[in-house]
Amino acid sequence: MFKKLRSKLVITPWAIWLGILGIILLGGLVAGILVFWKGLSITNLTDLVPWGLWITIDLSSIALSAGAFSLCAGVYLFGLKRYQPIARTATFVGLVGYTMAMLALVLDIGRPDRFWHALVYWNTHSLLWEVTMCVMLYLTVLVFESMPIFANFEWFRKRFPKLVTKMERVHHYAPILAIIGLGLSSLHQSSLGATYGVIKARPFWFKPEMSVLFMLSAIVGGISLTLFASMLSSRLTNKARTNDALVERVAHFVGYLLIGYFYFRAWDALSTTYTYDPGRTEGLGLMTRGPLAFNFWIVEMLLGMIIPMILLLYKPTRMNRFWRMAALLLVAAGVIAFRWDINISGFLVVMSYVPGAAISYTSYVPSLIEILTGAAIIAYGLAAFSLGVRYLRVVDHSMIEPEHEKVKVDATEPVTV
Amino acid sequence: MSEKNINRREFLKLTAVGVAVAAGTHAVSPTKASSDAPKGKHQWAMVIDQSKCTGCNYCTLACQANNDVNPDIQWNKVIEDGMVGDQKVYVPRPCMHCEKAPCVEVCPVKASYYRDDGIVMMDYDLCIGCRYCQVACPYDARSFNWEAFTGENPAVPEWGGPQVERRPRGVPEKCSFCYQRIDRGLSLGLTPGVDAEATPACVVVCPVGARIFGDLNDPESNVSKALRENSSYRLRENLGTGPRVYYLPAVPTKEA
Repeated sequence: MFKKLRSKLVITPWAIWLGILGIILLGGLVAGILVFWKGLSITNLTDLVPWGLWITIDLSSIALSAGAFSLCAGVYLFGLKRYQPIARTATFVGLVGYTMAMLALVLDIGRPDRFWHALVYWNTHSLLWEVTMCVMLYLTVLVFESMPIFANFEWFRKRFPKLVTKMERVHHYAPILAIIGLGLSSLHQSSLGATYGVIKARPFWFKPEMSVLFMLSAIVGGISLTLFASMLSSRLTNKARTNDALVERVAHFVGYLLIGYFYFRAWDALSTTYTYDPGRTEGLGLMTRGPLAFNFWIVEMLLGMIIPMILLLYKPTRMNRFWRMAALLLVAAGVIAFRWDINISGFLVVMSYVPGAAISYTSYVPSLIEILTGAAIIAYGLAAFSLGVRYLRVVDHSMIEPEHEKVKVDATEPVTV
Repeated sequence: MSEKNINRREFLKLTAVGVAVAAGTHAVSPTKASSDAPKGKHQWAMVIDQSKCTGCNYCTLACQANNDVNPDIQWNKVIEDGMVGDQKVYVPRPCMHCEKAPCVEVCPVKASYYRDDGIVMMDYDLCIGCRYCQVACPYDARSFNWEAFTGENPAVPEWGGPQVERRPRGVPEKCSFCYQRIDRGLSLGLTPGVDAEATPACVVVCPVGARIFGDLNDPESNVSKALRENSSYRLRENLGTGPRVYYLPAVPTKEA
């Protein structure tokens, strides 16, 4: 019996990977319990910087989940059916991303026990209310969209074949779900930008473009992360199979999207001072010369946009899998840097309400507790995706889903490969 | 072709009717269409005379005691703001109780709301602690309870006794114009701004009479008179928040 157990405990790269993630998750669990027990006083958040690392993780996971709605819309609404396997991966990435955002939010709010209040006590004027409602509804859509994916779980298939058939049948509603998903995502992806954009008190944020920037960067980053995750898994395990021609085509498209994103982001940032409102020039100064300069010029602009733009639009580098993967990862990292910069820049410039007083600056560095819990949220996302690749065939471009048009004919037959 | 024309005409007709109906309802109930504070019988406001304020901080201490505020938090903050002549100038800053309050607009759960008398209130039982109101407030008037206030209040009993419940950990709190004193005073037939018991603690305690409180709806109230007779300004007026706290600027004394 011991022999049997020992033979099961062979140290494989998979076991090491899960082990590392497990340790990070454990650390985060302890830190998370401390947060709920001691309260937010053990973070480095202050009255001047009330939103920090967690909100960045929250915003970034939602942004990088945007591949789900954009690729589903492409496949099911705009008729790009051959990209369906990639949309499938994106849907799962989206489900993981939104649950990550939920975890970050529960940590971040002062009264997690009242999380449900936003669903009951509506303030329809509030952007944050709208975002909460959309995120909850869209998470529901993602659960439905992922049903056919969960139907791939072998253990599940053997025990509940009838339920599995039903779950697979949800796939026939994919176009409807894609429409709802497109609507809800367009709303809350841009509203997350507007959450900052409507704040009159902080002139550096106060502008209507914020919504468009958040939406555009989310689409670019979301598709990139999905492609990167697919390519990386197919390199690391034979459980994942990609059709490189498909990935390459979408990556090419990302290259073009990057031109638009780069133009818009650069124009928006550098035209900040047009209005001469106090606080705007100071905010721009933080980004171009101050503590955020490395983030803005190097991570966002150079590594996040210009280099991947070249790598993805220049054919030889795009065809090379290493350079393509590198470019896609850089895009995702750039979007995270964008979220961090936007959030923190508005807080670091302290607008005085005293007439004639000079603008002052504050600083914020996340505490160890924030970093540990944040790392655990990311580790959860990585673990969920890895398990999905291994057991749910999340990345499998050879898989052909039953055609959603032929409802009556093939619907009830389970997929066998 | 003709059918198409009829359709278009009908469509235009319907649109016209729709616009008329929308305009009509707007004309009937203009207040419902806007998010401004409802206008009740009283409209409380505060006037702070900067030429009188000496920066003694009594207002802050009385506030701490009456509202049982954590010593780490100040609902009413007194900030030094340079010199006029040879006199130091201070900006005491309570909550502005804005007519169009950003905190009320952004709160996802309506925990911040307007009272009929213009006071911007917090429902500490509804608040989820997201801190969006803090992000939105142009006056830093809100402080978050990063931890529970469990110790003794150092301002009690010297500066007064607690009249309201302590706020729990995880919600932001702010000045309420001492609504408890106003409400109790009105029920006893007193006049806020005139009778000490019905007036915010900071106004009552001020040793130099730099603070005036009263009803903007009453043309004979102290605040109405003060605003009529003096030039005044409000903080960050360009934002259009419509603060109900007015300042009478410090002017150089004649000798200076």
